[in-house]
Formats: sequence, structure tokens, C-alpha cells
Amino acid sequence: MMNEDLSFSEARDVLRKWRDDNERKSDEVVQVFEYCLADKVKKLGNEKLIILEQVFIASLDCGRIKLAEDCIRVLISEFPESLRIMKLKSMLLEALERYDDALDVLESIIKRDETNAGPRKRKVAILKAKGQIGDAIKEMCDYLKKFMSDQEAWHELCNLYLMEGDYNKAAFCMEEVLLHNPYSHLIHQRLGDIRYTIGGQDNIEIAKSYYAQAIKLNGNNLRALYGLYLCCNHIALSKAQIAKRKEAQKLASWALQKISEITEKSTGKSSNLTGVSALEAAFGNLDIKTN
Amino acid sequence: MGVYKIVLTLGLISLLHSGYSAAQYRTFLRISEQEFESLPLDISIQAIVSFAVVVYSILSIKSDWKLIHATEIGKSSWDTFANIQSFYSFNHRGKALFNPDYTQPNLPNMDLLN
Repeated sequence: MMNEDLSFSEARDVLRKWRDDNERKSDEVVQVFEYCLADKVKKLGNEKLIILEQVFIASLDCGRIKLAEDCIRVLISEFPESLRIMKLKSMLLEALERYDDALDVLESIIKRDETNAGPRKRKVAILKAKGQIGDAIKEMCDYLKKFMSDQEAWHELCNLYLMEGDYNKAAFCMEEVLLHNPYSHLIHQRLGDIRYTIGGQDNIEIAKSYYAQAIKLNGNNLRALYGLYLCCNHIALSKAQIAKRKEAQKLASWALQKISEITEKSTGKSSNLTGVSALEAAFGNLDIKTN
Repeated sequence: MGVYKIVLTLGLISLLHSGYSAAQYRTFLRISEQEFESLPLDISIQAIVSFAVVVYSILSIKSDWKLIHATEIGKSSWDTFANIQSFYSFNHRGKALFNPDYTQPNLPNMDLLN
């Protein structure tokens, strides 16, 4: 990896970029910090504390408990009373799998500040880490009754329902996220995925329109193009009206053409017919078979 | 496009000229010791018309506008969009993959199963 060669300011900028773009990249964050910044923490100025928080979470993600303890020690000495730091402390306990102690810390934060959403979310995360998905869903529903406009929480509830295989409820949650963000192609694509997974003629029709909307919002969304292709193939082979089937067939070949255009552009190779037919055969196998 | 560049130059000159005229008018008033009430109508009209000409010609020269997309395309991917920090859980393979000091926990004795 190139991370060792970064200069001080490059390392600082790359960490800031990852923070702003909401990337996980925990291993990379820890490496950049250890190789480039660890000796010069004092030079970071007013970014020091936020970088320490970022590195703290990343090191928990990598199981580097010692580094996390070093980070939080500095943060505690800076803000001994802060609720935000207490939440980080509970995360450290969580990473050590001391879930009950972590819950105690979270409860004490909630007692001191009832409007603080962070620790309530962590409670759900603890249940999820313990594998108690059902309880996590219940806790999350309670949370959402109090904080209805929390988009992240709806998204996470959708993930929890997907883990349980409850696709209809997951679709409902994703629709809620869509209401907050109606022009996001990613949400449309995800809803298409969920509807296609549920299956059945009606749901596949709905999935098709979600995928179509996703492509309208961003023509380069490859996954939505694949999804549209699969939906159209399914409709073309179904017992729908002939006009509808013909239209679906046309749309499927259009999607396939778009896909090969995009892959051509990114690989720099001109498509050959064998490649396309191999793709077509592969997708034929992927299609949901209704028995 | 070349025509618009000439129009832009003329417009700018005309705009400068109207400003110069206004300054000249103020000096004339000062010399002749009259009270300032308002600018003469012709100078105001010249300023406004030439300003409109300049705006129009700049818009016509630099007209390869980009569309405003509703979402920031290219920047947001599913990876960053679906990464929700408030719900991170640390009970995953990361500690085995990225921690050099990781030791495997003792597995239960599997011999009994055989």
C-alpha cells in the first residue's frame, strides 16, 4: 500500500476527505495515522481532536484496542465531562464485548440528556452486535416513534428487516428514506432490488419502474441497468399482454446495449459478440424461476 | 460567438463611458456651483442599456452550461451512502484481519463430535 509515503499534509487531507465522503476505510485510516501522523499529533492544530475521534472509531473497527485507548485518553483529558466522549467510551466497551457495561454508560448519557439521539442508536447497534435482530428491530421502532425524521435510522431498520428476510417491511422503510431524498438514484435502485427479491408479477413490474427511475436519475448506474434487464426479461417471458412483452423485450435489449457501452468505456476494450452472449446466458441463469 | 465578443467589448466601453460621463457631470456641477439632484436621463439610460448588453453577451459567449443534477452523481456510491456510522458494530472479522496481535480464541474441543 502507498500509505507510508504520504507527507504530513497529504495524510491530513486524505483523512479529511474520507471523513467528508463518509467512507468506512477503517484499516486505511489506522495505517495513515500510524505511519504519517502519530508522531506529529500536536501539529494537527484544531483538527487534532476530530482526527483522534476518527482514528478511535477506525481502530475499534480493526480491533486495535490499544490504539483506541491511546486516542480516547487524549480526548478524555481534553473534555472530561463530554457526553460525546462518554459515547465513545461505551463504544470501546462494546468492542471489548462488555455489552452490559456499555449499556450502563449509554443509559447514564440518556438520563443526562434525553434528546441525545446518539446513545439510543448505539443501544440498537449493541443488540445487533449480539445477534438479537428481533430485539434490535423492536428497539429501533421505539426509537423511530420518538425521532421520526431520522433518515439513517430508517435506513438501518431497513437493513435489519433485510437480515430477517422481512422484505415487505424493508421496502416500507426504504420508501421512508426515499421520501427524505426523492432524487437519489441509489434509493430507487435499492427499492428495485427489494421488490425484485420479493418476486411475483406485480412486484417485478414495480421493480422495473424503480430501476427505470434510477437510470433516469443517473444513466451510469450499472446495477440498476442489470436490474432493469432482469425485470424486462422476466416480463418478456411471462404471460403478460403481447404488447407489454414486446415493449419489455425492447427495453431489455436497450439495457444490455447500455451495459456493454459502459463496460466498454471502463475496460477500454471493444465488445465482442461472444462477451454479450455470455452475459446474456449468465443472466438467463440468474433470473428468478417461477415454478 | 465572435460577434458577441465585439458586442461585449462595445457594451463594456459604453458602460465605462456612462460612468465617465456621470463623473464629468458631477465635476461640472461642482464648478458651476449647482446642487446635485439626479443624473441626467441620457446617462442613466446609457448605463442600464449597456449593462443589459454586457450581461446578454457574456451569457451568449459562455453558454456551454452544465446541467444541475439533483444528486451529486459520481460522488455518491452505494458504499458511502449505505455507510451509517451511528450503527457501526465492531463484532466482525475486522479484529482478526487487521490486528497483528490477534490471537484466536480457544475453540471448543471438536473431537467429541466425531
